[in-house]
Amino acid sequence: MAMLRGFLVLVLFFLLGESLRVLFALPVSGGVLGMVVITLTLMVKGSVSDDLASASQGLISVLVLLIMPGVVGVFFTADQFSGQWLAVAAALLVGTFLSVLTTLVLMKLVTVKGERHRE
Amino acid sequence: MSELFDRLGALADTLAATPILAIGLTLGAFFAGNWLFARIGRPLWLPPVLLSACLLSGVIAILAIDYQAYQRGASWLTVLLGPATVALGIPLYQQMHHIRAMWRPIAVTLPIAATLAAAYALVIAWALGATPEVLASLAPKSVTAPIAIGITEQLGGAVPLMMGGLLITGVVATLFVDMLARLLPVRDERILGFALGLNGHAIGTARAFAISHTAGAFASLGMGLTGVFTAVILPLVGSGIFNTG
Repeated sequence: MAMLRGFLVLVLFFLLGESLRVLFALPVSGGVLGMVVITLTLMVKGSVSDDLASASQGLISVLVLLIMPGVVGVFFTADQFSGQWLAVAAALLVGTFLSVLTTLVLMKLVTVKGERHRE
Repeated sequence: MSELFDRLGALADTLAATPILAIGLTLGAFFAGNWLFARIGRPLWLPPVLLSACLLSGVIAILAIDYQAYQRGASWLTVLLGPATVALGIPLYQQMHHIRAMWRPIAVTLPIAATLAAAYALVIAWALGATPEVLASLAPKSVTAPIAIGITEQLGGAVPLMMGGLLITGVVATLFVDMLARLLPVRDERILGFALGLNGHAIGTARAFAISHTAGAFASLGMGLTGVFTAVILPLVGSGIFNTG
């Protein structure tokens, strides 16, 4: 019961996000807008109910289940992209290596600098 | 006897007509993948989502279930991605004190790193001759799935290819963070968590929670912020890039 109450809150914020997207012709999905609005709402309110916390934790823990049908699609539509696998593989492997390196180095530099600044 | 075979045929049609079959198969593969993952000693390079997806694809292929019919049935599950995206706002709120404490490094790193996460892949794929549809499918590769689906649809990419890219990105981002953390070296759990979430979305975040709660919190944060930032920026710059190819 408690979890369903929290789920209702999530659904309402999703519908609110969808409404905002359509009404203001925004390029962002309704789910993202709902996420931004619920975060701001909680910040103003200053607390999160147990119902909402358990519902969100439940949904986040089954995220993998929800994306599985999409992942399966890659096996059944693969022939559409024949001849481009080298480009896809290189972009994913090399691209991800470079972006992980960039993130770690940038965060390290800025954090160290910030801590020195404080001393 | 032949009557029984007729009924068997009717049974297959009846089961295929209800979404419960697709839901049952997906749930079954989800638990089987998790079980197998635990059995083989939780290897970093083979996350449960990959195991589950392979098992599920195998079963669909063996039972000769129409892929489109499966997708229609499974949409009863995937529709929950909307509320699940909203749910990401709750850990974001709960970690707000961490964000305040680290706001400067986060504010500097996030826009640069999130932009480059897409840009590196796009430039490499473009240089190797990928079509605009493939580019649009690769662009949100570091974004968490519910948000990435929306971005890909808006850019005119293929959702299945994007999902495959997302999965591979999540796995290799996890491996590269572990590797580079040792080489550079970086030991701050907040930085490792943030890098895992920013580059490796939900898969990286799951890994970060295995490191520590703080790392997990920063991964949720990195994943959420990258999602929002990319969702706002990509469709704006994307319309110019992907329509010219």
